[in-house]
Amino acid sequence: MSEQDRDTHQHHPDYTKIYVALVILLIISVVGTFSGILWITFIMAFGVAVVKATLVAENFMHLKWEKVVAKWVLGISLVLMLLFFAGVSPDIMKDRGLQWVNNADLAATARGIPDEEEPGKGAPASAAESAKAAAPTQTAAAAPAAAPFNPETTFKTVCAACHGPEGEGNGPGAAALNPKPANFTDPAFWTDKTDSILEKAIRQGGASVGKSSAMPAWGSILTEAQAKQMVAYLHTLKGK
Amino acid sequence: MAQASAATAHAHEHGSHEHKELHGILKYLWSTDHKVIAMQYLFTGMFMAMVGGFMAYVFRMQLAFPGKSVPLFGYVSPGRYNALITAHGSIMIFWVAMPVLIAAFGNYLIPLMIGADDMVFPRLNRLSYQVFLLSVIVLLSSLFVKGGGFGGGWPAYPPLSANAKYNLTPLGSSMWLVAVALEFAAFLMGGINFITTLMNARAPGMKAYDIPMMPWMVVIASIMFMLSVGPLIAGAIMLFFDQNLGTGFYDPSRGGDPILWQHLFWFFGHPEVYVVLLPAVGTVLEIITTFARKKLFGYKTLLYTAAATAVLSFFVWAHHQFIAGIDPRMANIFTVTTMIISIPIAEMCFVIIATLYGGDIRLSTPMLWALAFMAEFLIGGCTGIFLGASGADIYLHETYFVLAHFHYTFFPIAIIGTFAAFTYWFPKMFGKMLNETLGKIHFWGTIIPFNLIFIPLFILGLDGQQRRIYDFQNFPELRHLQPIRILATISLVVMLLFQFVFFFNVIRAWLKGPKAPKNPWQSNTLEWTAESPPPHGNWPPDRMPKVYRGPYEYNHPDREDDYWPQNIPPEPEPAPSPAR
Amino acid sequence: MQTPIATTRSATGIPTGRLAIWWLVASEIVIFGGLLLSYVMHRIGHPEWAIAQAHTHTFVGAFNTFVLLTASFTAVKGHEAAEKGDGKRAAKFLYLTMGGACLFILVKSLEWTSEILEGFTIQANGFWAFYYTAAGLHALHVIAGAIVIFFVARDAAKGRNLQRVEYVGIYWHFVDIIWIFLFPLLYIAK
Repeated sequence: MSEQDRDTHQHHPDYTKIYVALVILLIISVVGTFSGILWITFIMAFGVAVVKATLVAENFMHLKWEKVVAKWVLGISLVLMLLFFAGVSPDIMKDRGLQWVNNADLAATARGIPDEEEPGKGAPASAAESAKAAAPTQTAAAAPAAAPFNPETTFKTVCAACHGPEGEGNGPGAAALNPKPANFTDPAFWTDKTDSILEKAIRQGGASVGKSSAMPAWGSILTEAQAKQMVAYLHTLKGK
Repeated sequence: MAQASAATAHAHEHGSHEHKELHGILKYLWSTDHKVIAMQYLFTGMFMAMVGGFMAYVFRMQLAFPGKSVPLFGYVSPGRYNALITAHGSIMIFWVAMPVLIAAFGNYLIPLMIGADDMVFPRLNRLSYQVFLLSVIVLLSSLFVKGGGFGGGWPAYPPLSANAKYNLTPLGSSMWLVAVALEFAAFLMGGINFITTLMNARAPGMKAYDIPMMPWMVVIASIMFMLSVGPLIAGAIMLFFDQNLGTGFYDPSRGGDPILWQHLFWFFGHPEVYVVLLPAVGTVLEIITTFARKKLFGYKTLLYTAAATAVLSFFVWAHHQFIAGIDPRMANIFTVTTMIISIPIAEMCFVIIATLYGGDIRLSTPMLWALAFMAEFLIGGCTGIFLGASGADIYLHETYFVLAHFHYTFFPIAIIGTFAAFTYWFPKMFGKMLNETLGKIHFWGTIIPFNLIFIPLFILGLDGQQRRIYDFQNFPELRHLQPIRILATISLVVMLLFQFVFFFNVIRAWLKGPKAPKNPWQSNTLEWTAESPPPHGNWPPDRMPKVYRGPYEYNHPDREDDYWPQNIPPEPEPAPSPAR
Repeated sequence: MQTPIATTRSATGIPTGRLAIWWLVASEIVIFGGLLLSYVMHRIGHPEWAIAQAHTHTFVGAFNTFVLLTASFTAVKGHEAAEKGDGKRAAKFLYLTMGGACLFILVKSLEWTSEILEGFTIQANGFWAFYYTAAGLHALHVIAGAIVIFFVARDAAKGRNLQRVEYVGIYWHFVDIIWIFLFPLLYIAK
């Protein structure tokens, strides 16, 4: 142990001050969540995290005074993580390409949305639902298909993810889409649509009627008759 | 295994005069001596090599004579075929190449070559072997549980690996995953030991550029392993949960993505192949400098090239995924980086050739193995270039061309590298000399059949034969290639039979071979200054070596002898050789 | 087992034990980095996970963050005492750190129990799968750290191996840093 005892010239910053700073930063990051503005929350949360981590690393772990080789070791592992992110995110972050649509994922997304008609149940209902629906693979409209076909329920579980619960084209999935999903409440939408166009779009996908290929083909889970019922339901959304 | 233990105990009792080292069964449970632990890894690894080789025999027999019962095994059903090829791949990489090249030879040689009395964390070393042994037990058990062993291929892609409905091996697939995870844990522990030992525990006077290549390579490999395995450990946890807890990390119908697993796996999987390559190259470098009696041509070049290979190896992984549906722009980038990584490897080959050129070459058995490594690995490396081009890979991916390519790289690494290291350091480790004639017979009996197994496989691959198929009789357009399959299988059987020569040689040398001197090859590095085999503590504590020069001073003009060990102080008069 | 001569050498100038801990931390960075970045990629690609994430309890998370910060503080105070050779004082601080770890685990257990009872199990959806996996892996490291701290503290109280107080402290601070990033990722970035 003799050679190592010589390494005792440790610097000791005022740990109490650092600790107080850390707690204050924690409070700031929590307070930031109440700002309501997404970007402020993000910057405060992650910016604060970086500052806190740096304080802990430099002062508590004594990296400030450590030999440079230790910083290289840690630095390389962090750089590798950036490399990992750069190489993998093009495949994982965007799973909806320009030439194809991930139907199964869209359906899973739809199941992840809570049923807004029953506020009391809220998320647990959808959690149980998606656990149930997930068990048989690949049947996107499992819940509505098990019961007699109900266009409204189908709309809410399958379509609302992109088209929004009222069909305004503002569902959570719409954020990633350009052009935006159709807004059925807008009179302008209905000026050039016949029922057969809509049925075709529903069953064979948006590209089949010259619209965005982001609109999936639901023909594998909707029969012609069911698609007709869906179109009828869409009509009821007009002017809402 | 019993023979192995007896022989090892025999060898150790020879050397352990002074220290209170344990004996008998206790030694193998509790010893923290790096040499004992190295032997444990070596014998476990070689045992697993026999298991993996036997599996190759079985599935190749099925391919050559489909539907016929395989002697010593029985009928090979499609499920069993899949389990055999999966286990063969996993075993050869995780339970042969890594334990033998890194854990066994690294453990044995690093302290000896840097002049230390042991690794810096002996108890952690012991724990790492125990965890490793547990991983072996879990893996082998997984082959015998209900449903059989996992059969989804060693890269274990989901959804096949995640969903028991598809893989039909609910227990086997989880056990396989646990075995791999345990193996990773063992090597993380070992890696910390190797790296810290090399960084800190060198003999006085041994500067960074005086360290021989073998310890450098094992440590660079350990660093690469530690840094690349992290994301895969995360991925393995996620896969385990998918298998057993019903999560959907890799299930697109639940919002997951199977390609994520592929990325996590290959982010590790590609550096992994260089992890096993570098120690094999280290072995070859030690051997060629000794048996060409020549200084290494470009020590620093080689070191920096090895480091460059290590760094670049992290930038090429998606070349395993060219046709998996990744972003095509990524495929462009990975093609370029894959081409670039051939440059440092080629540089290493040039350094080796330049070292040999003009040397006083002694074609001993270790030297033959080292030269064979170069020749065979060259074929492997060059065929990798075809696969690295994403355009060509569209055709070649998942064909036997890939299989032949990676056997031309892995076989030199894991098998040739092992035999090279084993025959070279056998005198030091066991205190006896192996028989040269038997060694040469074994050498040719391995190398010639090896080429006859795998060159035909390139042809099969170019003809469009896909991998992981149980019976090619189901593919009418491939049926005419059956003679080639039979040739490959027969060559494999011949090669396996020649391994008996090796075992005969080893056992005979153990029992009644000539006693080995300290430095039979007249080499410079520090391990040759200890007894053969070294006692516990390697050198007497008051006579630990000090280093005065680099490791490859052969045929130095200031010396009468053609070698100059690192630990001889610079005296005016020509010092007598420390041991002959 | 006698400590080998090898362990006492230090060609880099960093004591062997501390050097080993830095390498351990590096290997943990890539493990947690892989897991957390996989989560980030999925989360960005699945904006609808925000709905599930709304059900995490920010204040509980914040309290746990506070607990870990305080435990890091006591750990480094223990190191300060060990540096001065005061093993008993160092041990006291380390036991406090251990207490913080236990409190963290207790709070997390209660938090998870309430979430599971509400129906947010690990199978519920992608967000919850990552939530339990990431926080669970972290919690395992907290438990492991607490166990090691216990043994180091016991030795330190007897004045033995005081240098290990610093080393276990480095590991502990790293575990704290992981949580410093987990907290905004899982609780705040909704």
